[in-house]
Amino acid sequence: MAAELVVATTDLAMIQAQQAGMKAIGAGLAVGLTGIGTGVAEMGIGAAAVGAIAENKDFFGLGLLFTVIPETIVIFGLVVGLLLLFL
Amino acid sequence: MGVNISAPYIYVCTRMRMRKAKLLPREEYQRMLNMSVSEITRIIGETEYKQEIDELGTIFKGIDLIEVALSWNLAKEYQKIQEITPGNLKQFTQVYLRRWDIQNVLTILRGKMQGEKPGKIKEILIPAGSLDKVILDRMLSEESSDRIIEMLKTHRMYPVLAREYPAAKESGSFSHMENELYKHLYANIIADAKAGVKGGASFLAYIQLEIDIKNVKTLFRLREDDLEEDARDMFIPGGSLSLLNFTSLNNIKDLNEFIDMIRANIRNGTLHSLLDELKGNKSAHDIEARLTRVQLEQMEKMSKRNPFSIHPILVYLEKKKYEVFNLRAIARGKESRLPADKIMKYLVI
Repeated sequence: MAAELVVATTDLAMIQAQQAGMKAIGAGLAVGLTGIGTGVAEMGIGAAAVGAIAENKDFFGLGLLFTVIPETIVIFGLVVGLLLLFL
Repeated sequence: MGVNISAPYIYVCTRMRMRKAKLLPREEYQRMLNMSVSEITRIIGETEYKQEIDELGTIFKGIDLIEVALSWNLAKEYQKIQEITPGNLKQFTQVYLRRWDIQNVLTILRGKMQGEKPGKIKEILIPAGSLDKVILDRMLSEESSDRIIEMLKTHRMYPVLAREYPAAKESGSFSHMENELYKHLYANIIADAKAGVKGGASFLAYIQLEIDIKNVKTLFRLREDDLEEDARDMFIPGGSLSLLNFTSLNNIKDLNEFIDMIRANIRNGTLHSLLDELKGNKSAHDIEARLTRVQLEQMEKMSKRNPFSIHPILVYLEKKKYEVFNLRAIARGKESRLPADKIMKYLVI
């Protein structure tokens, strides 16, 4: 009887540990993949913005603004990651 | 078509679009048509040509100032573009700009033959190709034409120059040599575009369009002038037309039949609609200007279809060239007191 209880407790602890691990992997993937997505999106916009700024300095503000708009993607990823870890 | 979505391509294509947006608009040309040469100089001096006008203002006056400033600006612009284009695009741009080498070398040879002073020849050179100012200056300082040809030993056009120059020198006319040099240039460009480099297909599409338009222009010119020269000599291979088609087209006397035959041989929607309009009789120059417009329109379409390829760069190079040609035409026209509507016909807007 006592031996069965010990086995069940060990299983539960293992499952809980696995769940925590899965959460951590999920959070990592959420931040990592959205980070890559943001990078890819910003590559084109950033290159075009730098090209426009090189020709006309007035485009600096607008160029910078457009370049950082895909940052929202990685922020969504970060929020999902935090929700996974702390909720 | 080879579309390359990589950061350097996007960067340079955006720069070209920005530069294209800075080119003079149609209204500006129309305003200039009502101005004197000095007023035109002042207006140009407030635009992208400011630096050249300021630099040369103390040396040249009037029409010479405009001419030299335009040439310098064009050369500077082309050299700058060669600097900023990355990878394969740089190679294609350089290949494309090599035509200016032919123009410069021929100008020097012609000037030397007519006994012009080096300073005078230098004014009309446009060092936009692979031969820069330093090399051109060295060529200008040479007395003998044979030595000038020798200096080009490492250049790609040397075999043709070496082959054709003795006959050209003897006859005193460089026209055959010029034709041969351009044929060699286009053959080289096509070979480079077909060499399997990424983006070569887009470049080839443009070059074929250019050859087609050039051949059609030649055909119209031959019709107008009734020249006795051999038409085959002026044909540029590589486009949609074959030599056989070209010579048979040249022999057609009736304009409508001639236009129908061109339509059948060249597949290009914009060109077809122009040809339909041309079925009435028009002067040769008007047709040429309109064909150039068709070419630019078609290039614009191509650059929109392939936004990150060689096309936006080529569109800018061509449009810049025609801006310089237009300004020169206006200035020269005003100097010769031509009426505004006559100058307008020569402009490519």
